[in-house]
Amino acid sequence: MASSDPDTAGGLTESARANRAFWDGYSTEYQALHHEALGGDPAWGLWRTPDAQLGVLGDVAGLDVLELGCGGAQFSLQLAARGARVTGLDNSEAQLAHARALQEQFGLSFPLVHGQAEQLPFPAESFDLVFNDFGAATFADPLPMIPEIARVLRRGGRLAFAHASPLDWLCFDDDADAWGSKLLHPLFGMRSETDTAGTVAFNLSHGEWIRLFTSCGLQIERLVEWQPAPDAVSTYRDEPTRAWARRWPIEEIWVVSKP
Amino acid sequence: MSGPGRDPATTPASDSAADAVANREAWNAKAPDYAEAGRRAWSGERPPSWGLWHQPESELNVLGDVRGLDVLDYGCGTGYWSAWLTRAGARVTAFDNAPEQLATCRRFQDEFGIAFPIQLASAGQLDPERFRDASFDLILSEYGGLTWADPYATLPECARLLRPGGRLAFLKISTLLEVCWPLGSAVAGDELVMDWFGLHRLVEPADSSVAFDLPPGEWIRLFREHGLVVESLRELRPPADAAPSRHAFVMLDWARQWPAEELWTVRKA
Repeated sequence: MASSDPDTAGGLTESARANRAFWDGYSTEYQALHHEALGGDPAWGLWRTPDAQLGVLGDVAGLDVLELGCGGAQFSLQLAARGARVTGLDNSEAQLAHARALQEQFGLSFPLVHGQAEQLPFPAESFDLVFNDFGAATFADPLPMIPEIARVLRRGGRLAFAHASPLDWLCFDDDADAWGSKLLHPLFGMRSETDTAGTVAFNLSHGEWIRLFTSCGLQIERLVEWQPAPDAVSTYRDEPTRAWARRWPIEEIWVVSKP
Repeated sequence: MSGPGRDPATTPASDSAADAVANREAWNAKAPDYAEAGRRAWSGERPPSWGLWHQPESELNVLGDVRGLDVLDYGCGTGYWSAWLTRAGARVTAFDNAPEQLATCRRFQDEFGIAFPIQLASAGQLDPERFRDASFDLILSEYGGLTWADPYATLPECARLLRPGGRLAFLKISTLLEVCWPLGSAVAGDELVMDWFGLHRLVEPADSSVAFDLPPGEWIRLFREHGLVVESLRELRPPADAAPSRHAFVMLDWARQWPAEELWTVRKA
């Protein structure tokens, strides 16, 4: 099994250190809350919308795939079971411990790498598909991360990730701990946000994401904005939030390719 | 607009002919209000610039060198962009849906001695005999045909008209401003009042004019479906010294926090 420790290879960024500390402490509780929902067929986001419905990944058999921020690696296991050659990377050793236990349980083995997405320990042009579902594209700084992803992708390869929409960020009411209809935060200057637990999340406006992708030679293929089904169930969000997300996108998936 | 759950891919095209008639009447009526602003651009007093706060093209660099390019001004209004581009050395063709706007444009052509062909035509319904396939290097719409006609008709039309490597640049109200602007209200607020999902056709109660917009994900889906590669999405922010716009539907304070206007550029592969 491959391993890499950026602590001995140049050190962590401040946000990566904060997020590592949080996820190492929270991992067991997180897996207890969400592991069951993360099982089954490949699915995306807060309400586990099937990939078969969104058509993002399609057939992954034979592809070299990197999951950036794999957590317990449930998604990677599903793709490995469908014939992908998967590598999982996560910033939290505690999360990777869950991933290893699941690999044993399912009798599937693939490399699990401890590291941060801003400096990927892989040679150029190693992967056909890089993806994550509320993973590194949420918790790593996109400005250094996207060039790294562009580097490790092969020509014709794709990057796909689900994360919170910019609109989610604009309308989140910190005091109420809920989403409202008021615009509470500016969009200009959107970059990172530190929450009360100390985790640092990152996001950009759509225009800035596009500027970053194209500056790295990546071509925009899709921006999937979708609604949860009226009766969709989530272990992450409550019913009032589902009602909000039926009107305005709370999550979205970017799909870009390396021509 | 239609409600949540609408699937844009299967939405039937709106009644484009009826919408074009409604918009023709509305813009014929509004035309006198736009003559003064048109004159400032035509005269050269205002250099080429974008949007409500006149951000100079020389700073935004959207178009680059247009010398020798075949340009279509896609809903030209008073023809101010056509005048700027003709002066910059482009071969411009212009059309608009409103005869009164074209009358202003003709007056300015005579007054300022700048000539380019102008036609009465409706975006999304251009006659393929008069507007030939692959005949333009650049299509430009500033609150033009990409705003006032159905993108399910105009996007394929622009893709048809562009040469390989040609570009489409269009400025519109941002999707965010659109969903914060109650229909029939004079000004947008800081609260989401319209659904994002299903955003498409917006009828203004005051004059029955019909504007169109899509969520960004649906714009991108349409671009790709028609062989257009996304180059950029500029989210315009008023400069620090901007004066309030004469168009009062959005306040400067709003536009400094959130983009009121979006400028897409895409390239035909």
